Amino acid sequence: MSFRYLLILLLGVFVFSQEADSTKQEIELDACMSCHEEIDEDFDTPIMPHIMDDVHFKVGLGCADCHGGDPEAFDDEDESMWNVDSFIGVPEKSELPDFCGTCHSDVRYMKKYNPQAKTDQVAQYKTSKHGILLFEDDEEKVAVCTDCHSVHGILEVDNPKASVYPLNLPETCANCHSDAAYMEGFDIPTDQLDKYKSSVHGHALFERRDISAPVCNDCHGNHGATPPEFDDISYVCSGCHVNNSDLFKKSHLNDLFIKEDIPQCIGCHSNHDIEKPTDEFLNWTGGSICINCHDENEHGDSRKIADTFYGIIDSMKQQIDIADHLVETAEKKGMEISDLYYDLEEAHKSLIQTRTSIHSFNEEFVREVAKPGNESALKAIEGANKALDEFDVRRKGLFFASLIISLLIVAIYLKIKDMESENNE
Amino acid sequence: MNKLYEWFNERMDLDSIRAFMMKKKVPVFYGTVWYYLGGISLFLFAVQVTTGILLILYYQPGSGTAFESLKLIVGKVQFGWLIREVHSWSANLFVLFAFLHMFTVFFAKAYRKPREITWFSGMILLMLGLGFGFSGYLLPWNELAYFATKVGSDITGAIPVVGDFLLKLLRAGDEVSGATLTRFYGIHIAILPAIFTVVLGIHLALVQTQGMSVPPEIEKIPEKDRKYMNFFPNFAIRDFLVWLFILNIIALLAVFFPWELGLKADALAPAPAGIRPEWYFMFMFQTLKLIPPHVLFIEGELFGILMFSVGGLIWFLVPLLDKKAHKGERSKFWHWFGIGLIVYMIVLTVWGYLV
Repeated sequence: MSFRYLLILLLGVFVFSQEADSTKQEIELDACMSCHEEIDEDFDTPIMPHIMDDVHFKVGLGCADCHGGDPEAFDDEDESMWNVDSFIGVPEKSELPDFCGTCHSDVRYMKKYNPQAKTDQVAQYKTSKHGILLFEDDEEKVAVCTDCHSVHGILEVDNPKASVYPLNLPETCANCHSDAAYMEGFDIPTDQLDKYKSSVHGHALFERRDISAPVCNDCHGNHGATPPEFDDISYVCSGCHVNNSDLFKKSHLNDLFIKEDIPQCIGCHSNHDIEKPTDEFLNWTGGSICINCHDENEHGDSRKIADTFYGIIDSMKQQIDIADHLVETAEKKGMEISDLYYDLEEAHKSLIQTRTSIHSFNEEFVREVAKPGNESALKAIEGANKALDEFDVRRKGLFFASLIISLLIVAIYLKIKDMESENNE
Repeated sequence: MNKLYEWFNERMDLDSIRAFMMKKKVPVFYGTVWYYLGGISLFLFAVQVTTGILLILYYQPGSGTAFESLKLIVGKVQFGWLIREVHSWSANLFVLFAFLHMFTVFFAKAYRKPREITWFSGMILLMLGLGFGFSGYLLPWNELAYFATKVGSDITGAIPVVGDFLLKLLRAGDEVSGATLTRFYGIHIAILPAIFTVVLGIHLALVQTQGMSVPPEIEKIPEKDRKYMNFFPNFAIRDFLVWLFILNIIALLAVFFPWELGLKADALAPAPAGIRPEWYFMFMFQTLKLIPPHVLFIEGELFGILMFSVGGLIWFLVPLLDKKAHKGERSKFWHWFGIGLIVYMIVLTVWGYLV
């Protein structure tokens, strides 16, 4: 290691040790901390191990900023807490939303820390199922701020360690919602987490670590968490699946679903355990989700349209598979086919659009959407076949060229032999 | 026909040119086959020139046009693919045969007096050939070529004192860019061919005037017991036969082992995995990779460059250093030096491709 790197390392150690020292100093200056540090182990949930990471602590807020009291009054419990008017202590559960809202609902105050900070959390909470139960039914077995965000170790929501970070949120909600004993009396299922884990969204989140995958709060809301009603489930899904929702709303099935009181989207796809959609969903006799409502032996319009859609998509897939194979073969043979990749891309894109278009339940529309994709796949097939024909021409050309050259070689060889025999004579 | 010949003969003295060419005799012995290697290299160079000129008609140097124009050549231009494939394959075969030619000349001790200048000119031609390879590698302006040139030209920068200047001169700036491509193109199609043509002229003139060399042990055979064949037409027609055979191989390689175009070079993209130079630079590349960061008080890269420079200079000056060869004797030291060099080059090249 060079002297330069050693110097940087030493400086780094020095700087970090300086930071650690200054933090420790601040803790020592706070009267609340100096006492609570000694009695911390008496609490069910110790404060001190987490406080250093707490977002409030990091921006310079101390115990007294939330709990009141005098943080300067050392060694005198009465002066620091009991005799101080502002002292709040530990709020009751029902008081907690407004306790946090003292700052978090104060637009002017919150601007100091984040000009874009939302300040409607408490208002939202009061409209949530949790809030309604808490405030209207005096039900205390509901989540309040600290149940989701923790108490003295509150982390920024984008901190991967935070309990409300997308990768952790399903487990956070499940702390209560998957606890059958705790949830007894609420008349809601407790298998949502298991179902979610098996869903297409759960796979995206837990297996691919894709934090853009929807988690509990994306569909139910967070501070205003509430189960979506049948009527508005499509508004929830359409937040991401815009085209599918738009097409369905314009379809004749939309009115029928409303009339029959069938929830949109989840009527076919279910809610927490949404399967990864496949083309087999349309295969009436091979895993179709249509038969969840329809009779498998039915031969009416519904089956006809499902069969038609399945056929359109299946033939398009076959066409694209052929195009993919031919283009790959031509490329392996060294033919210049880079332009064909644009056609293939177009065909693959069109296949996705066609799959989406089936939500219109309109055969004419689906065929129209599929048309450019079929044309692109066909164009790629023609282009690849042309390239393969060209390769064939090259091979034949090579054969004839080689033949001529070989004949020439033989002729020259004979001439050499002839010359040698003349020389010998 | 005779009248036409006479017409030119009266004006150009064709008879003496003919006599000069007919004068050359080719010794016939176990090593006669080695004599074809120089001719094959010459033929491949001619193929390079012909296909290179045809490529110039469509190739457009420049970071925004080079890759696209090559796509046009191999995709749309009639027989463009064939010209490009033949150019690329014959370039590689040229280097291969030039190396084989050099080693056969070395082991036949053909560099001994009075053919020292033929050896020097041949070595210069080989170096120019490697220069053709290095400059031509960048011209397709694909990802691999871009990063390989970056790594390759970086080595120039390690040369003490003048390294930085040479690096900028080579790259036409600090980094490999469109300006480097234009510069390499100029070097590839104008500067190198001009120098090559002059040196090749000297090399061929020397071979023609001094005749073919034979190994020392053949030289010891009395002149009357030695066998010869006329260069014209006996050996020339055999040369032609071999060239046709090589042409057939090139055609085969062009159709069944095409060179990929790859992805267009992108200076901002991360370097792709498996950057490696052309196979004939691999032994040097692998050596540089194996040299530790510091050798004694010298930086590893610089040590490698010094090693190659000194080694190259020794190899170049072999005709002056191998005293025994001038006496018509074989030196064991130089014999094993040559074998060691071949083993080193093959082992390091294979190693480079395996790791």
